[in-house]
Amino acid sequence: MRELAPGRVLIYLIVSLIAATWLAPLAVVVLNSLRTNEEIAQGSMIGWPQHLAWSNYAAAWSGFCVAETCAGIRPYMLNSALVTIPATIFSTLLGAVAGYAVSLWRFRGDNWIYGIVTLGLFLPQQMRLLPWTIVLRDIGLINTLTGLVLIHTIQGLSFTTLFCRNYYVAIPHELIRAARIDGAGFFRIFWRIILPLSPPILIVTVIWQFTHIWNEFLYGVTFTNGQQQPVTAALIALSAAVADIPQHGVQSAAVIIAALPTLLIYLLGGRYFVRGLTAGAVK
Amino acid sequence: MTNAVSTKPGRPAASDLVRRLPEYLMIWVPLLLCAVHLVSFSLWTIWISFTPSTLVPVSGWVGLRNYTAVLASRNWQIAFDNLLLFGSAFVLLSAVTGLVLAILLDQRIRGENALRSIFLYPLAVSFVVTGTVWSWLLNPGIGIQKLVHDLGWTSFKFDWLIDRDMAIWTIVIAAIWQSSGFAMALFLAGLRSVDADIIKAAQIDGAGPIRTYWRIILPTLWPITITVVVVQLQFAISAFDLVRALTNGGPGIATQLPALVVYDLMFQRSLLGRGAAAAVLMLLILLAVLLPYAAWRYVQKRRATHA
Amino acid sequence: MPITTTRRRLLAGSAAALALPAFARAQGAVKPRLTAISQWSAGSDGAAITALGKKFEEKGGIWQHSPVPGFTTEMMNKLRAQIMAGDPPACSQLKGPEIAAWSKIAPTVDLDAVVAAAGYEKVVAPDLAKLHKPGGKWIALPLQIYSTNMLFLSKRAMDKAKADKIPVTWAEFNDLAERMKAGGVPYPVANGGTRPDDGQKFEAALAGISPAAYRAAIMNLDAKALKGPEIKAAFVQVRKIADWMDPNVGAQHFSTNLKRFIDGDMGMMIMGGWAQGVLRNAGFKFEDFMIAPGPSDNSKPVFLLNADAFIFWQRKEPDLQAGQTLMAQLVMDPAIQTMYSQITGSIPVRTDVDLSGEGWSDGQRRTAAALKDAIASNQAVLSLAHNMAQENGMTAALIDVITEYVKDKTIKPEQAATRLAEAVEGAR
Repeated sequence: MRELAPGRVLIYLIVSLIAATWLAPLAVVVLNSLRTNEEIAQGSMIGWPQHLAWSNYAAAWSGFCVAETCAGIRPYMLNSALVTIPATIFSTLLGAVAGYAVSLWRFRGDNWIYGIVTLGLFLPQQMRLLPWTIVLRDIGLINTLTGLVLIHTIQGLSFTTLFCRNYYVAIPHELIRAARIDGAGFFRIFWRIILPLSPPILIVTVIWQFTHIWNEFLYGVTFTNGQQQPVTAALIALSAAVADIPQHGVQSAAVIIAALPTLLIYLLGGRYFVRGLTAGAVK
Repeated sequence: MTNAVSTKPGRPAASDLVRRLPEYLMIWVPLLLCAVHLVSFSLWTIWISFTPSTLVPVSGWVGLRNYTAVLASRNWQIAFDNLLLFGSAFVLLSAVTGLVLAILLDQRIRGENALRSIFLYPLAVSFVVTGTVWSWLLNPGIGIQKLVHDLGWTSFKFDWLIDRDMAIWTIVIAAIWQSSGFAMALFLAGLRSVDADIIKAAQIDGAGPIRTYWRIILPTLWPITITVVVVQLQFAISAFDLVRALTNGGPGIATQLPALVVYDLMFQRSLLGRGAAAAVLMLLILLAVLLPYAAWRYVQKRRATHA
Repeated sequence: MPITTTRRRLLAGSAAALALPAFARAQGAVKPRLTAISQWSAGSDGAAITALGKKFEEKGGIWQHSPVPGFTTEMMNKLRAQIMAGDPPACSQLKGPEIAAWSKIAPTVDLDAVVAAAGYEKVVAPDLAKLHKPGGKWIALPLQIYSTNMLFLSKRAMDKAKADKIPVTWAEFNDLAERMKAGGVPYPVANGGTRPDDGQKFEAALAGISPAAYRAAIMNLDAKALKGPEIKAAFVQVRKIADWMDPNVGAQHFSTNLKRFIDGDMGMMIMGGWAQGVLRNAGFKFEDFMIAPGPSDNSKPVFLLNADAFIFWQRKEPDLQAGQTLMAQLVMDPAIQTMYSQITGSIPVRTDVDLSGEGWSDGQRRTAAALKDAIASNQAVLSLAHNMAQENGMTAALIDVITEYVKDKTIKPEQAATRLAEAVEGAR
């Protein structure tokens, strides 16, 4: 153990200050999740709980009503999982194959198609709402979770292809060439050589896709019926009652429960996130 | 990519084609679906922007009327100015914040894992939640200002949220909070991949830590900076939910942004044609930013091939 | 009361059955089913629609409600998607002039026969009825009514101002506000700062100054009326209101201020009748505040109408058609309207419901009385801020001007009046 030099102390001081700032919004939500709706309504948004209202969590998890359904956030969490998990897996895998093809198997038009696909990162979501309505209508997938999975898979390809391609570009081509001389084909090389090298970047794309799809609202409410709505819809139901006292306590508890899956993913995957980016996006 | 393995040039034999059909399908179907949806949705929007569509898309031709109406509206003019301000301020500041955080974390400090998680966790939170929580914190009547007043410092003032000229900066603050962790991760990745020998050599030459960073390490981060800017730019454009929950364009209409105007025209005011025109204008702004970047990349690549 | 209304409903139901053999047959042959879309998901709105669904099921129907949480825009996105997919709900929440606008994009149900059978037209305010029969035929049914310009007074602030008289005109309102200020109430007005909230301040001001000018300028968009002196006077009044508010409220919901309002740190609030339910749900007592119709310079109550309604979309399925008939009968039923309004804090659409019984609050009784008086003196007008006076596009254009004026004190009333007229031209 070294002695702490003044410079080091300063660094620690700055880092802790910034970290505290970063944690403040979370702290406010956590505190509010333990205060009753009335307490918040009669006081202020920032404050210590007078007594811990754990009942907020019970109400948030399985109590509060969205119209006729009084089951809390639980069924909506399941709906979100049913869309988010398949869409994350599909978009990641397809993006990996596409990124692999674009980076290591040049084919005619690859630059063009790659350019267009990455432009998708910048096409605003609201603009695509009506075209998606028409597409889902024509293929008969409106009001199905399958339709949502399809949307998120296709839209997600923009990000996953971009990041996988940037990662695979760094793989030594001799490796591929040698495998081809041994008679290995497209899929064999992908399966045997590329995939084992991929975990860092796949973790990045999984984290990214999972959080984005999990937190999506606009498509989630437009393309589903009541019982299939995603968790974001339930959160909004708690917040947007114009003619009612805002349920800030239950709302805060629900926000925390709903954010747990994505928070956990970042907590567990954070280390690999940076590692994956080290290898991937840096190109 | 120049030394990538090329597939066989020329026309492949029919049997070859059949044998390799699965791989063609795997490569082309997803990519084509993605590309086709992007191109056709964009073309569709452009078409709609020339029609008199209101509640639902209809055919017809109104020429440039939707465009002139959008360009003449106060909402769009304010939104456009705000995008320039918000876009540049946010991209710049979040990159700087991310870089500072990365450099701090790169000092081999204890608790790096925990700190990294703290700076990354906002990425896990939805925009709506971020906007809502920051609207509580930044509201002078119920948030930070009130807290400080209650603590006794009654002349403290932090009321940007209700100040027409400063409100746009509250969006910058919330957006930086939410997304600079990503910039940090990228920069940290870059810092970690700098060749240790170079740093050692610089230190042997007697360069101090600041000089080492400034002269040796930071210049290697240029390519990452570009990635950061592109990702943050994407964030700036899609910051729709965040703004809606934080200021909803207010006070008054002082914090309108193009994405808000597009949604507002299309769905709130039921003026699909005008909303589409606003969306096309937004895409044009975007192209104006991205095309120079693409050109720069192209020139770089050419230079690399010739070298 | 429950017994009589139930009997009346049975009568209405059987009358409808007699008048409509086709519907009756459909209803007898299949189990009525209703698909419905609304944004009512939480709080008393959610509770009320749920109770309505229960009644529907009690009548033997299958209730399939799909709530779309969030703002009206999201509900409309959902409705649009369903209509574009050729699968509209049997009925959906929609209000004001949007009923006419949306009825142009998909066929709606002609409800004239059911409405006639229930004798509904006689008991609905004429201005309101017009909105629900855009082509001369009933295609939508109003469900409940709010006034957007009720005046809420804090008892403690009144005590501080040593006042006990409820202000009737704007002059009296302004006078009371000054007295409150002098008596130590830091902020005599307690409103919030959302877009509709700002719109309400303006519509309350203009309609209170001159209901005729409001009708001409805002409801009929008369170019001359839009340049009239009343508009400028309304903006002057709005500025006064804004100056009496806590500038720190920003864009927060009015409920943020309720505690300070009850404590007497804020004095008055011009808000819809729903604020009553919010106050009750937040745990405040009725003794701590008073409710009266908003200021009106001719001393007769002015009522800014805000009514929620259901529109009925054409479906071929016999069970859905039967469900639509049943739903229409329920919505018009005085017992159902009573149940609904008692949950949400609104008042019934029917002007013949007796509010003297238990279950109604003083505020609701006063609102209903104000509506009756306002209709009698032709001073019941349609709310702009809550999308009753104009289609959404026009409404938003007008609210843009109003909210900017409320938030930017450098804009002069004349300037705002000019901008308002320009906004109308721009949005036409």
